[in-house]
Amino acid sequence: MPSRAPQIVALGGGGFSMERDGTLLDDYVLSLVDAARPRVCFLPTASGDADHYVVRFYRRFSPGCEASHVSLFRRDQGTGGVEDDLATHLLAQDLIYVGGGNVLSMLGAWRAHGLDAILRKAWRRGIVLCGPSAGSLCWFEQALSAFHGAPRPVRGLGLLPYSNCVHYDAEPARRAEYHRAVADGMRGGFAADDGVALHFRGTHLDHVVSSRPDGSAYEVQLDGRRVLERRLDVSYLGTPGAGRREPAPGCAAHTPARAAQEPVAA
Amino acid sequence: MSARPAVPVDERLIFAMGGGGFTMEPNNPLLDDFVLSLARAKEPRILFLPTASGDTTAQINAFKARFAHRTCAPEHVSLFRLRETTRSLQEIVFEQDIVYVGGGSMRNLLAIWQAHGLDKLLLEAWEAGIVLAGLSAGAMCWFQAGVTRSSGPPETLAGLGLLEGSLTVHADGEPERLPVWLANVRSGALPGGWALDDGVGLLFRGKRLERVVSSRPGASAQRVDAIEGELVRNRLEPELLLGDQPSRALGGLDEAVEELRRVHRLRRGMGRGRG
Repeated sequence: MPSRAPQIVALGGGGFSMERDGTLLDDYVLSLVDAARPRVCFLPTASGDADHYVVRFYRRFSPGCEASHVSLFRRDQGTGGVEDDLATHLLAQDLIYVGGGNVLSMLGAWRAHGLDAILRKAWRRGIVLCGPSAGSLCWFEQALSAFHGAPRPVRGLGLLPYSNCVHYDAEPARRAEYHRAVADGMRGGFAADDGVALHFRGTHLDHVVSSRPDGSAYEVQLDGRRVLERRLDVSYLGTPGAGRREPAPGCAAHTPARAAQEPVAA
Repeated sequence: MSARPAVPVDERLIFAMGGGGFTMEPNNPLLDDFVLSLARAKEPRILFLPTASGDTTAQINAFKARFAHRTCAPEHVSLFRLRETTRSLQEIVFEQDIVYVGGGSMRNLLAIWQAHGLDKLLLEAWEAGIVLAGLSAGAMCWFQAGVTRSSGPPETLAGLGLLEGSLTVHADGEPERLPVWLANVRSGALPGGWALDDGVGLLFRGKRLERVVSSRPGASAQRVDAIEGELVRNRLEPELLLGDQPSRALGGLDEAVEELRRVHRLRRGMGRGRG
């Protein structure tokens, strides 16, 4: 197998599961794969392997890809998911697509079936890893998860040495919750709106892309006792002109902040 | 509400079913009525945990169908669907009289509970006198070990260990588990324990087996131990449930009407009985 750089595309929300007719983010992820007919495997664990989610995955990916999925709940029932040797199957993929849902439940089930170690190996081998929501949070060292009570930091797989927050614009309290968590000791990291994807090569944020003209992403860090939020440059994937601007590609992560850095009450 | 004080050991109840209840016996409420009868409360609060199935809509709907019209206050907790509630898991668990655990993948069930800290909460719930009940994966989880098909072929898996011994389920319905369990008990890899047919349940008071009940004629349980490398198997004859506990079914009637009828029955000296 040729050596490929590890890549992760972390979606703040969006992709086939969340955008009614949006194919931009999924197309972007597929464009990273160098294969005429990419092998794409879906992990719907975070949804409890919800049937409707699996169906939507195949509807989206089976026309152009060798699509498969792994169910960790129906391994005894032969329902068409991959059984037997999960490692061999997953390490033969071009792209592993992780669905949304509950990140804690997903990480627990993954550990119980050894998927955490397999995914780490897949990443090192250059198999592209992606997903929205829980499928984004899981790759980071820490993540903000809101579930049954107050949002709290959750440990992810730690492939990316940052924290992550998703649905940044969709849920009004998210921004304040994330800032509070970083102020309280969670490590700094990246927040993405619905429809916005953070593309990492290795552990370096390489590109930020969006399926929406107004999608935003931010780097959030603690500076002394203040939380600083820096807006990142985002490339709109849609038709030029429909977006509010056309940034040069490849300049996303480390350009100076466009918006003024606003200290936020810690 | 936070943790409740511990109760004496003989007030801690666990009801473990080899199969049966609302997910497997939609037309036979005997085991589920028995579960409700274990709570002291007249109108018990019963929490369903469908975790082992991945919180399937089918299990949740079957739970609602069975308990919505009985004298109880049912609710369920999903560990997959986001933002269903702002109450913490601790608050939800300690409000209950009964926690009822569904079947599915025992491996996923335990791993996901652990990820959410629910394993510790359920131990505290048991110690606080909240009745724990469940079938299949939701029964084996209370013991030291069970036999799961979570990864396909049957294999042994450690449980939470609230009860001593091991348990295997669906002894009649899924016969491939039984030989794996027997071989492991014989070799000493698993402690002795019980094999349960579908429809059979074991009621434990503290750690002591108090009753063996069944919703189906002909279903049975066995106790198996290895003694000097040989298996000693004892068949346990279950009590067939006949619905002699007060029926909790309201049949869609208003609860007040049912209450009134119960009062009338009592006054007429009819005592207990199915409406």
